[in-house]
Amino acid sequence: MLAYALATGIVFGLYFALVGIGMNLVFGVMRIVNLAHGDFIMLGAFSAFWLLAVLHLPPPAAIVLGFVAFFLAGLPVYYALVPRLARAREPEMLSLILFFGLSQTIEALAAMLFGNSERSIPGRLLGRGPVHLLGQTMPRAWVYAAAVSLAMLGLVWLYLHRTRLGRQTRAIMAARQEAVAIGIDIHRISAIAFGIGAGLAAVAGVFAPFMLGSFTPALGIPLDLTSFAVIVIGALGNPLGTVLGGVIFGVTLMLMRAYLSSFADLLPDLVLILVLLVRPAGLLGRQVRRA
Amino acid sequence: MTSALLEIAGLHAGYGSIRVLWGVDLAVRTGETAVLLGANGAGKTTLLKCLAGLLPARGGAIRWRGEDITRLPARVRVRRGLCHMSELGIFPDLTIAENLDLGALFVDRATARRRRAELYTLFPILAERRHAAAATLSGGQRKMLGIARALAAEPALLAMDEPSAGLSPKLVGTVIESLARCRAAGLALLIAEQNVRFLDLADTVFTLEGGRAAAALTPDAVRQDDRLRRAYFGMGM
Repeated sequence: MLAYALATGIVFGLYFALVGIGMNLVFGVMRIVNLAHGDFIMLGAFSAFWLLAVLHLPPPAAIVLGFVAFFLAGLPVYYALVPRLARAREPEMLSLILFFGLSQTIEALAAMLFGNSERSIPGRLLGRGPVHLLGQTMPRAWVYAAAVSLAMLGLVWLYLHRTRLGRQTRAIMAARQEAVAIGIDIHRISAIAFGIGAGLAAVAGVFAPFMLGSFTPALGIPLDLTSFAVIVIGALGNPLGTVLGGVIFGVTLMLMRAYLSSFADLLPDLVLILVLLVRPAGLLGRQVRRA
Repeated sequence: MTSALLEIAGLHAGYGSIRVLWGVDLAVRTGETAVLLGANGAGKTTLLKCLAGLLPARGGAIRWRGEDITRLPARVRVRRGLCHMSELGIFPDLTIAENLDLGALFVDRATARRRRAELYTLFPILAERRHAAAATLSGGQRKMLGIARALAAEPALLAMDEPSAGLSPKLVGTVIESLARCRAAGLALLIAEQNVRFLDLADTVFTLEGGRAAAALTPDAVRQDDRLRRAYFGMGM
Protein backbone atom coordinates (compact mmCIF):
# COMPACT_ATOMS: atom_id res chain seq x y z
CA MET A 1 0.00 0.00 0.00
CA LEU A 2 2.86 2.39 0.82
CA ALA A 3 4.65 1.67 -2.45
CA TYR A 4 1.44 2.20 -4.39
CA ALA A 5 0.76 5.48 -2.61
CA LEU A 6 4.27 6.71 -3.35
CA ALA A 7 4.20 5.70 -7.02
CA THR A 8 0.76 7.16 -7.74
CA GLY A 9 1.73 10.16 -5.62
CA ILE A 10 4.61 10.94 -7.96
CA VAL A 11 2.41 10.43 -11.03
CA PHE A 12 -0.31 12.70 -9.66
CA GLY A 13 2.33 15.07 -8.33
CA LEU A 14 3.66 15.73 -11.81
CA TYR A 15 0.11 16.42 -12.95
CA PHE A 16 -0.49 18.78 -10.01
CA ALA A 17 2.68 20.61 -10.96
CA LEU A 18 1.14 21.18 -14.39
CA VAL A 19 -2.08 22.35 -12.70
CA GLY A 20 -0.15 24.94 -10.69
CA ILE A 21 2.60 26.10 -13.00
CA GLY A 22 0.50 28.47 -15.08
CA MET A 23 -0.69 30.29 -11.97
CA ASN A 24 2.86 30.48 -10.68
CA LEU A 25 4.24 31.84 -13.94
CA VAL A 26 1.61 34.58 -13.94
CA PHE A 27 2.33 35.37 -10.29
CA GLY A 28 6.08 35.44 -10.88
CA VAL A 29 5.87 37.86 -13.78
CA MET A 30 2.91 40.04 -12.83
CA ARG A 31 2.63 39.63 -9.02
CA ILE A 32 -1.01 38.86 -9.63
CA VAL A 33 -2.91 35.90 -8.22
CA ASN A 34 -5.00 34.66 -11.12
CA LEU A 35 -7.99 33.22 -9.32
CA ALA A 36 -9.56 32.44 -12.69
CA HIS A 37 -6.77 29.89 -13.29
CA GLY A 38 -8.91 27.01 -12.01
CA ASP A 39 -11.72 28.10 -14.32
CA PHE A 40 -9.37 28.11 -17.29
CA ILE A 41 -8.60 24.48 -16.36
CA MET A 42 -12.33 23.77 -16.09
CA LEU A 43 -12.86 25.20 -19.58
CA GLY A 44 -9.96 23.05 -20.75
CA ALA A 45 -11.81 20.02 -19.39
CA PHE A 46 -14.89 20.98 -21.43
CA SER A 47 -12.72 21.38 -24.52
CA ALA A 48 -11.32 17.92 -23.93
CA PHE A 49 -14.83 16.56 -23.59
CA TRP A 50 -15.86 17.95 -26.98
CA LEU A 51 -12.61 17.30 -28.78
CA LEU A 52 -11.99 13.78 -27.46
CA ALA A 53 -15.37 12.27 -26.58
CA VAL A 54 -17.55 14.08 -29.15
CA LEU A 55 -15.31 14.82 -32.13
CA HIS A 56 -13.00 11.84 -31.45
CA LEU A 57 -9.82 13.78 -32.19
CA PRO A 58 -6.56 12.06 -31.23
CA PRO A 59 -5.35 13.23 -27.76
CA PRO A 60 -2.18 14.98 -29.02
CA ALA A 61 -4.33 17.12 -31.33
CA ALA A 62 -6.61 18.03 -28.42
CA ILE A 63 -3.59 19.04 -26.34
CA VAL A 64 -2.06 21.23 -29.05
CA LEU A 65 -5.40 22.78 -30.01
CA GLY A 66 -6.22 23.48 -26.37
CA PHE A 67 -2.88 25.13 -25.73
CA VAL A 68 -2.97 27.30 -28.84
CA ALA A 69 -6.60 28.37 -28.44
CA PHE A 70 -6.19 29.29 -24.76
CA PHE A 71 -2.87 31.02 -25.42
CA LEU A 72 -4.53 33.21 -28.04
CA ALA A 73 -7.56 33.84 -25.82
CA GLY A 74 -5.28 34.79 -22.91
CA LEU A 75 -3.68 37.70 -24.77
CA PRO A 76 -6.79 39.92 -25.01
CA VAL A 77 -7.76 38.97 -21.44
CA TYR A 78 -4.36 40.23 -20.33
CA TYR A 79 -4.61 43.50 -22.21
CA ALA A 80 -8.18 44.09 -21.03
CA LEU A 81 -7.43 43.57 -17.33
CA VAL A 82 -3.82 43.75 -16.25
CA PRO A 83 -2.46 47.10 -17.54
CA ARG A 84 -5.43 48.74 -15.79
CA LEU A 85 -4.51 46.94 -12.57
CA ALA A 86 -0.91 48.03 -12.78
CA ARG A 87 -2.03 51.66 -12.67
CA ALA A 88 -4.15 51.11 -9.55
CA ARG A 89 -2.96 52.09 -6.10
CA GLU A 90 -2.99 48.56 -4.64
CA PRO A 91 -2.67 46.26 -7.64
CA GLU A 92 -2.25 43.04 -5.65
CA MET A 93 -5.40 43.42 -3.58
CA LEU A 94 -7.36 44.63 -6.57
CA SER A 95 -6.15 41.69 -8.66
CA LEU A 96 -7.61 39.25 -6.15
CA ILE A 97 -11.01 40.89 -6.37
CA LEU A 98 -10.92 41.31 -10.14
CA PHE A 99 -9.85 37.76 -10.91
CA PHE A 100 -12.26 36.35 -8.34
CA GLY A 101 -14.96 38.18 -10.27
CA LEU A 102 -13.69 36.79 -13.55
CA SER A 103 -13.65 33.31 -12.00
CA GLN A 104 -17.27 33.64 -10.84
CA THR A 105 -18.33 34.95 -14.23
CA ILE A 106 -16.70 32.09 -16.12
CA GLU A 107 -18.20 29.53 -13.75
CA ALA A 108 -21.70 31.03 -14.03
CA LEU A 109 -21.50 31.25 -17.82
CA ALA A 110 -20.28 27.66 -18.06
CA ALA A 111 -23.11 26.49 -15.80
CA MET A 112 -25.68 28.37 -17.92
CA LEU A 113 -24.33 27.20 -21.25
CA PHE A 114 -23.25 23.64 -20.46
CA GLY A 115 -25.34 22.73 -17.40
CA ASN A 116 -24.27 21.62 -13.93
CA SER A 117 -24.35 17.87 -14.51
CA GLU A 118 -21.22 15.83 -13.93
CA ARG A 119 -19.40 14.76 -17.06
CA SER A 120 -16.65 12.28 -17.60
CA ILE A 121 -14.56 10.97 -20.49
CA PRO A 122 -13.82 7.24 -20.83
CA GLY A 123 -10.21 6.58 -19.84
CA ARG A 124 -9.73 4.28 -22.83
CA LEU A 125 -9.59 7.36 -25.09
CA LEU A 126 -6.02 7.81 -23.83
CA GLY A 127 -5.14 4.18 -24.54
CA ARG A 128 -6.35 0.80 -23.31
CA GLY A 129 -4.99 -1.44 -20.61
CA PRO A 130 -3.03 -0.74 -17.44
CA VAL A 131 0.60 0.33 -17.34
CA HIS A 132 3.36 -0.97 -15.09
CA LEU A 133 5.36 1.88 -13.68
CA LEU A 134 7.59 2.18 -10.61
CA GLY A 135 6.68 -1.42 -9.72
CA GLN A 136 2.95 -0.62 -9.66
CA THR A 137 0.03 -1.11 -11.99
CA MET A 138 -2.02 1.97 -12.84
CA PRO A 139 -4.40 3.29 -15.52
CA ARG A 140 -2.77 4.28 -18.79
CA ALA A 141 -4.48 7.69 -18.68
CA TRP A 142 -2.65 8.60 -15.45
CA VAL A 143 0.73 7.78 -16.90
CA TYR A 144 -0.18 9.63 -20.10
CA ALA A 145 -1.08 12.71 -18.06
CA ALA A 146 2.12 12.50 -16.00
CA ALA A 147 4.28 12.14 -19.11
CA VAL A 148 2.67 15.12 -20.84
CA SER A 149 2.94 17.14 -17.61
CA LEU A 150 6.64 16.38 -17.42
CA ALA A 151 7.07 17.38 -21.05
CA MET A 152 5.18 20.66 -20.53
CA LEU A 153 7.26 21.47 -17.44
CA GLY A 154 10.38 20.81 -19.49
CA LEU A 155 9.12 23.12 -22.23
CA VAL A 156 8.45 25.87 -19.69
CA TRP A 157 12.03 25.48 -18.47
CA LEU A 158 13.36 25.66 -22.01
CA TYR A 159 11.27 28.74 -22.73
CA LEU A 160 12.49 30.54 -19.62
CA HIS A 161 16.15 29.59 -19.93
CA ARG A 162 16.85 29.10 -23.61
CA THR A 163 14.89 31.78 -25.47
CA ARG A 164 15.21 35.55 -25.71
CA LEU A 165 11.62 36.06 -24.60
CA GLY A 166 12.15 33.71 -21.68
CA ARG A 167 15.25 35.56 -20.59
CA GLN A 168 13.29 38.81 -20.61
CA THR A 169 10.54 37.06 -18.64
CA ARG A 170 13.05 36.03 -15.97
CA ALA A 171 14.49 39.54 -15.93
CA ILE A 172 11.03 40.92 -15.09
CA MET A 173 10.65 38.30 -12.34
CA ALA A 174 14.04 39.22 -10.89
CA ALA A 175 13.85 43.03 -10.98
CA ARG A 176 10.83 44.60 -12.60
CA GLN A 177 11.86 48.24 -12.67
CA GLU A 178 15.32 47.33 -13.86
CA ALA A 179 13.70 45.42 -16.69
CA VAL A 180 11.71 48.49 -17.73
CA ALA A 181 14.85 50.60 -17.52
CA ILE A 182 16.81 48.47 -19.97
CA GLY A 183 13.98 48.63 -22.47
CA ILE A 184 12.06 45.38 -21.98
CA ASP A 185 8.47 45.73 -23.17
CA ILE A 186 6.83 44.63 -19.92
CA HIS A 187 3.31 44.37 -21.31
CA ARG A 188 4.32 42.33 -24.33
CA ILE A 189 6.33 39.84 -22.25
CA SER A 190 3.67 39.67 -19.55
CA ALA A 191 0.89 39.13 -22.09
CA ILE A 192 2.84 36.21 -23.53
CA ALA A 193 3.40 34.80 -20.02
CA PHE A 194 -0.32 35.19 -19.32
CA GLY A 195 -1.14 33.42 -22.59
CA ILE A 196 1.27 30.60 -21.74
CA GLY A 197 -0.34 30.36 -18.29
CA ALA A 198 -3.76 29.99 -19.92
CA GLY A 199 -2.40 27.47 -22.44
CA LEU A 200 -0.90 25.38 -19.64
CA ALA A 201 -4.22 25.54 -17.82
CA ALA A 202 -5.90 24.19 -20.95
CA VAL A 203 -3.49 21.24 -21.13
CA ALA A 204 -4.06 20.55 -17.42
CA GLY A 205 -7.77 20.76 -18.18
CA VAL A 206 -7.56 18.18 -20.95
CA PHE A 207 -6.37 15.65 -18.36
CA ALA A 208 -8.61 16.82 -15.51
CA PRO A 209 -11.49 14.47 -16.40
CA PHE A 210 -9.10 11.51 -16.39
CA MET A 211 -7.27 12.43 -13.19
CA LEU A 212 -10.27 13.62 -11.17
CA GLY A 213 -12.84 11.14 -12.48
CA SER A 214 -15.48 13.69 -13.50
CA PHE A 215 -15.95 17.42 -13.75
CA THR A 216 -18.56 20.20 -13.52
CA PRO A 217 -18.39 23.98 -14.01
CA ALA A 218 -17.70 24.24 -10.26
CA LEU A 219 -14.26 22.66 -10.67
CA GLY A 220 -12.49 26.02 -10.68
CA ILE A 221 -12.27 26.91 -7.00
CA PRO A 222 -10.97 23.52 -5.75
CA LEU A 223 -8.36 23.60 -8.52
CA ASP A 224 -7.35 27.12 -7.49
CA LEU A 225 -6.81 25.83 -3.96
CA THR A 226 -4.76 22.90 -5.24
CA SER A 227 -2.69 25.20 -7.47
CA PHE A 228 -2.16 27.61 -4.64
CA ALA A 229 -1.03 24.86 -2.26
CA VAL A 230 1.32 23.41 -4.88
CA ILE A 231 3.00 26.71 -5.69
CA VAL A 232 3.23 27.88 -2.11
CA ILE A 233 4.95 24.61 -1.15
CA GLY A 234 7.43 25.01 -4.00
CA ALA A 235 8.00 28.75 -3.99
CA LEU A 236 5.75 31.55 -5.13
CA GLY A 237 7.04 33.09 -8.31
CA ASN A 238 9.53 30.30 -8.98
CA PRO A 239 8.04 28.09 -11.72
CA LEU A 240 10.56 25.31 -11.19
CA GLY A 241 9.76 25.06 -7.50
CA THR A 242 6.30 24.07 -8.69
CA VAL A 243 7.59 20.64 -9.71
CA LEU A 244 8.80 19.94 -6.20
CA GLY A 245 5.59 21.39 -4.76
CA GLY A 246 3.48 19.22 -7.08
CA VAL A 247 5.28 16.00 -6.18
CA ILE A 248 5.18 16.70 -2.45
CA PHE A 249 1.48 17.52 -2.73
CA GLY A 250 0.79 14.41 -4.83
CA VAL A 251 2.62 12.02 -2.54
CA THR A 252 1.02 13.53 0.58
CA LEU A 253 -2.41 13.30 -1.01
CA MET A 254 -1.95 9.64 -1.91
CA LEU A 255 -0.59 8.79 1.55
CA MET A 256 -3.59 10.52 3.10
CA ARG A 257 -5.95 8.63 0.82
CA ALA A 258 -4.28 5.37 1.77
CA TYR A 259 -4.12 5.84 5.53
CA LEU A 260 -6.48 8.67 6.50
CA SER A 261 -8.91 8.74 3.64
CA SER A 262 -11.63 10.75 5.36
CA PHE A 263 -9.21 13.66 5.80
CA ALA A 264 -7.78 13.64 2.28
CA ASP A 265 -9.97 16.51 1.06
CA LEU A 266 -8.61 18.75 3.80
CA LEU A 267 -5.12 18.37 2.43
CA PRO A 268 -4.72 21.57 0.35
CA ASP A 269 -5.76 23.68 3.32
CA LEU A 270 -3.62 21.79 5.82
CA VAL A 271 -0.51 21.94 3.63
CA LEU A 272 -1.04 25.63 2.94
CA ILE A 273 -1.34 26.46 6.63
CA LEU A 274 1.66 24.32 7.52
CA VAL A 275 3.94 25.77 4.88
CA LEU A 276 2.88 29.33 5.60
CA LEU A 277 3.66 28.76 9.30
CA VAL A 278 6.99 27.04 8.86
CA ARG A 279 8.47 28.40 5.63
CA PRO A 280 6.41 31.29 4.29
CA ALA A 281 8.73 31.72 1.30
CA GLY A 282 8.13 28.12 0.18
CA LEU A 283 10.55 25.22 0.39
CA LEU A 284 12.71 26.58 -2.42
CA GLY A 285 12.11 30.17 -1.38
CA ARG A 286 15.59 31.63 -1.31
CA GLN A 287 18.09 28.95 -2.21
CA VAL A 288 16.98 28.32 -5.77
CA ARG A 289 16.51 31.98 -6.51
CA ARG A 290 20.07 32.64 -5.43
CA ALA A 291 21.77 29.48 -6.67
CA MET B 1 18.65 75.59 -31.58
CA THR B 2 20.91 73.59 -29.32
CA SER B 3 23.97 71.48 -29.80
CA ALA B 4 23.24 69.54 -26.62
CA LEU B 5 22.81 65.77 -26.80
CA LEU B 6 20.57 65.84 -23.76
CA GLU B 7 18.72 68.85 -22.51
CA ILE B 8 16.46 69.01 -19.47
CA ALA B 9 14.39 72.17 -19.11
CA GLY B 10 12.24 73.12 -16.12
CA LEU B 11 11.63 69.51 -15.10
CA HIS B 12 9.07 68.90 -12.36
CA ALA B 13 8.50 65.48 -10.79
CA GLY B 14 7.44 63.77 -7.60
CA TYR B 15 5.68 60.86 -5.95
CA GLY B 16 2.05 61.16 -4.88
CA SER B 17 1.64 64.44 -3.04
CA ILE B 18 5.39 64.88 -2.60
CA ARG B 19 7.13 67.17 -5.06
CA VAL B 20 10.78 66.37 -5.47
CA LEU B 21 11.96 68.29 -8.52
CA TRP B 22 10.95 71.94 -8.83
CA GLY B 23 12.16 72.89 -12.27
CA VAL B 24 15.53 71.34 -13.04
CA ASP B 25 17.66 72.62 -15.94
CA LEU B 26 20.60 70.61 -17.16
CA ALA B 27 22.38 69.86 -20.43
CA VAL B 28 24.99 67.35 -21.59
CA ARG B 29 26.81 67.64 -24.93
CA THR B 30 27.95 64.74 -27.08
CA GLY B 31 30.92 62.93 -25.56
CA GLU B 32 30.84 65.12 -22.47
CA THR B 33 30.82 63.95 -18.86
CA ALA B 34 28.54 65.75 -16.42
CA VAL B 35 28.55 65.05 -12.72
CA LEU B 36 25.38 65.75 -10.79
CA LEU B 37 26.16 66.50 -7.16
CA GLY B 38 23.52 66.37 -4.49
CA ALA B 39 23.04 65.23 -0.93
CA ASN B 40 20.87 62.23 -0.09
CA GLY B 41 17.27 63.09 -0.82
CA ALA B 42 18.14 66.00 -3.10
CA GLY B 43 16.36 64.31 -5.98
CA LYS B 44 19.22 62.75 -7.95
CA THR B 45 17.52 59.36 -8.28
CA THR B 46 14.20 61.00 -9.12
CA LEU B 47 15.84 63.03 -11.86
CA LEU B 48 17.50 59.96 -13.37
CA LYS B 49 14.23 58.00 -13.20
CA CYS B 50 12.46 60.74 -15.13
CA LEU B 51 15.26 60.74 -17.63
CA ALA B 52 14.97 56.96 -18.10
CA GLY B 53 11.18 57.12 -18.41
CA LEU B 54 10.56 55.21 -15.18
CA LEU B 55 8.75 58.13 -13.58
CA PRO B 56 6.49 60.54 -15.48
CA ALA B 57 7.52 64.17 -15.59
CA ARG B 58 4.89 66.55 -14.20
CA GLY B 59 6.18 69.51 -16.10
CA GLY B 60 9.06 70.71 -18.20
CA ALA B 61 10.77 68.91 -21.04
CA ILE B 62 13.48 66.37 -21.75
CA ARG B 63 15.05 66.77 -25.18
CA TRP B 64 17.29 64.23 -26.85
CA ARG B 65 19.20 65.44 -29.90
CA GLY B 66 16.73 68.31 -30.06
CA GLU B 67 13.65 66.08 -30.02
CA ASP B 68 11.17 66.14 -27.15
CA ILE B 69 11.21 62.70 -25.49
CA THR B 70 9.43 63.68 -22.26
CA ARG B 71 6.50 61.34 -22.90
CA LEU B 72 8.27 58.48 -24.65
CA PRO B 73 8.38 55.06 -22.93
CA ALA B 74 11.63 53.80 -21.45
CA ARG B 75 12.31 51.28 -24.19
CA VAL B 76 12.19 53.90 -26.93
CA ARG B 77 14.75 56.00 -25.08
CA VAL B 78 17.07 53.00 -24.72
CA ARG B 79 16.70 52.32 -28.43
CA ARG B 80 17.80 55.88 -29.21
CA GLY B 81 20.94 55.50 -27.10
CA LEU B 82 19.88 57.01 -23.77
CA CYS B 83 20.67 54.36 -21.14
CA HIS B 84 20.21 54.27 -17.42
CA MET B 85 22.14 52.42 -14.75
CA SER B 86 20.40 52.21 -11.40
CA GLU B 87 22.13 51.57 -8.10
CA LEU B 88 21.21 47.88 -8.41
CA GLY B 89 22.17 47.77 -12.06
CA ILE B 90 21.83 44.00 -12.58
CA PHE B 91 19.44 41.04 -12.51
CA PRO B 92 20.71 38.97 -9.57
CA ASP B 93 18.94 35.73 -10.54
CA LEU B 94 20.31 35.66 -14.07
CA THR B 95 23.80 34.64 -15.11
CA ILE B 96 26.41 37.19 -16.06
CA ALA B 97 26.20 36.20 -19.72
CA GLU B 98 22.41 36.56 -19.62
CA ASN B 99 22.71 39.98 -18.01
CA LEU B 100 24.99 41.11 -20.84
CA ASP B 101 22.67 39.66 -23.48
CA LEU B 102 19.77 41.59 -21.98
CA GLY B 103 21.82 44.77 -22.15
CA ALA B 104 22.15 44.24 -25.89
CA LEU B 105 18.39 43.91 -26.43
CA PHE B 106 18.31 46.37 -29.34
CA VAL B 107 21.74 45.68 -30.79
CA ASP B 108 22.07 43.38 -33.80
CA ARG B 109 23.62 39.96 -33.21
CA ALA B 110 27.00 40.52 -34.85
CA THR B 111 27.58 43.83 -33.09
CA ALA B 112 26.43 42.35 -29.79
CA ARG B 113 28.88 39.48 -30.12
CA ARG B 114 31.81 41.79 -30.92
CA ARG B 115 30.79 44.10 -28.10
CA ARG B 116 30.57 41.20 -25.64
CA ALA B 117 34.10 40.09 -26.50
CA GLU B 118 35.34 43.64 -25.88
CA LEU B 119 33.53 43.82 -22.56
CA TYR B 120 34.96 40.49 -21.44
CA THR B 121 38.44 41.83 -22.26
CA LEU B 122 37.68 45.01 -20.35
CA PHE B 123 36.34 43.10 -17.32
CA PRO B 124 38.11 39.71 -17.22
CA ILE B 125 36.35 38.69 -14.00
CA LEU B 126 33.04 38.71 -15.87
CA ALA B 127 34.41 36.41 -18.58
CA GLU B 128 35.71 34.02 -15.95
CA ARG B 129 32.36 33.77 -14.17
CA ARG B 130 30.07 34.22 -17.15
CA HIS B 131 27.85 31.24 -16.31
CA ALA B 132 27.49 32.08 -12.62
CA ALA B 133 24.43 33.91 -11.27
CA ALA B 134 25.03 37.64 -10.94
CA ALA B 135 23.98 37.35 -7.29
CA THR B 136 27.19 35.44 -6.54
CA LEU B 137 29.34 38.43 -7.50
CA SER B 138 30.83 40.76 -4.89
CA GLY B 139 29.61 44.35 -4.65
CA GLY B 140 32.39 45.71 -6.82
CA GLN B 141 31.98 42.97 -9.41
CA ARG B 142 28.26 43.67 -9.59
CA LYS B 143 29.01 47.30 -10.34
CA MET B 144 31.36 46.16 -13.11
CA LEU B 145 28.60 43.97 -14.49
CA GLY B 146 26.15 46.88 -14.27
CA ILE B 147 28.51 49.08 -16.25
CA ALA B 148 29.24 46.31 -18.74
CA ARG B 149 25.55 45.63 -19.23
CA ALA B 150 24.86 49.31 -19.81
CA LEU B 151 27.72 49.49 -22.30
CA ALA B 152 26.42 46.43 -24.13
CA ALA B 153 23.46 48.57 -25.19
CA GLU B 154 25.88 50.80 -27.15
CA PRO B 155 24.58 53.98 -25.52
CA ALA B 156 25.36 57.51 -26.66
CA LEU B 157 24.75 58.69 -23.11
CA LEU B 158 24.82 56.65 -19.94
CA ALA B 159 23.10 58.07 -16.88
CA MET B 160 24.40 56.46 -13.69
CA ASP B 161 22.90 56.58 -10.22
CA GLU B 162 25.72 56.61 -7.63
CA PRO B 163 28.13 54.16 -9.20
CA SER B 164 30.33 54.43 -6.09
CA ALA B 165 27.59 53.44 -3.62
CA GLY B 166 28.70 50.63 -1.34
CA LEU B 167 32.16 50.32 -2.87
CA SER B 168 35.55 50.44 -1.17
CA PRO B 169 37.86 53.33 -2.15
CA LYS B 170 39.97 50.92 -4.20
CA LEU B 171 36.93 49.71 -6.16
CA VAL B 172 35.78 53.28 -6.69
CA GLY B 173 39.15 53.80 -8.36
CA THR B 174 38.51 50.83 -10.65
CA VAL B 175 35.06 52.12 -11.56
CA ILE B 176 36.43 55.58 -12.36
CA GLU B 177 39.16 54.01 -14.45
CA SER B 178 36.70 52.04 -16.55
CA LEU B 179 34.45 55.06 -16.96
CA ALA B 180 37.43 57.14 -18.06
CA ARG B 181 38.03 54.58 -20.80
CA CYS B 182 34.40 54.80 -21.94
CA ARG B 183 34.63 58.56 -21.93
CA ALA B 184 37.75 58.39 -24.07
CA ALA B 185 35.80 56.22 -26.50
CA GLY B 186 33.26 59.02 -26.95
CA LEU B 187 30.53 58.02 -24.50
CA ALA B 188 28.67 60.86 -22.82
CA LEU B 189 28.09 60.34 -19.10
CA LEU B 190 25.73 61.82 -16.56
CA ILE B 191 26.85 60.63 -13.15
CA ALA B 192 24.81 61.34 -10.04
CA GLU B 193 27.29 61.16 -7.17
CA GLN B 194 28.29 62.29 -3.72
CA ASN B 195 31.87 61.09 -4.10
CA VAL B 196 34.30 63.91 -4.87
CA ARG B 197 36.66 61.65 -6.82
CA PHE B 198 34.22 61.63 -9.74
CA LEU B 199 35.04 65.31 -10.28
CA ASP B 200 38.20 64.06 -12.01
CA LEU B 201 36.02 62.72 -14.81
CA ALA B 202 33.79 65.74 -15.12
CA ASP B 203 33.66 68.33 -17.87
CA THR B 204 30.78 70.07 -16.12
CA VAL B 205 29.24 69.83 -12.68
CA PHE B 206 25.63 70.46 -11.74
CA THR B 207 24.55 70.75 -8.15
CA LEU B 208 21.08 69.66 -7.17
CA GLU B 209 19.66 71.47 -4.16
CA GLY B 210 16.07 71.71 -3.01
CA GLY B 211 14.91 70.09 -6.21
CA ARG B 212 16.59 72.65 -8.50
CA ALA B 213 19.81 72.29 -10.46
CA ALA B 214 22.20 75.19 -10.33
CA ALA B 215 24.02 76.42 -13.44
CA ALA B 216 26.85 74.36 -14.84
CA LEU B 217 30.16 74.76 -13.03
CA THR B 218 33.62 73.60 -13.88
CA PRO B 219 35.11 70.95 -11.58
CA ASP B 220 37.74 73.44 -10.45
CA ALA B 221 35.11 75.96 -9.48
CA VAL B 222 33.49 73.33 -7.28
CA ARG B 223 36.80 72.40 -5.70
CA GLN B 224 37.55 76.05 -4.91
CA ASP B 225 34.13 76.95 -3.58
CA ASP B 226 34.18 76.61 0.21
CA ARG B 227 30.45 76.40 0.58
CA LEU B 228 30.10 73.65 -2.01
CA ARG B 229 33.00 71.75 -0.56
CA ARG B 230 31.47 71.86 2.85
CA ALA B 231 28.03 70.95 1.53
CA TYR B 232 29.07 67.93 -0.49
CA PHE B 233 32.37 66.58 0.65
CA GLY B 234 32.84 67.59 4.26
CA MET B 235 35.93 69.49 5.36
CA GLY B 236 38.53 66.87 4.60
CA MET B 237 38.67 67.59 0.88
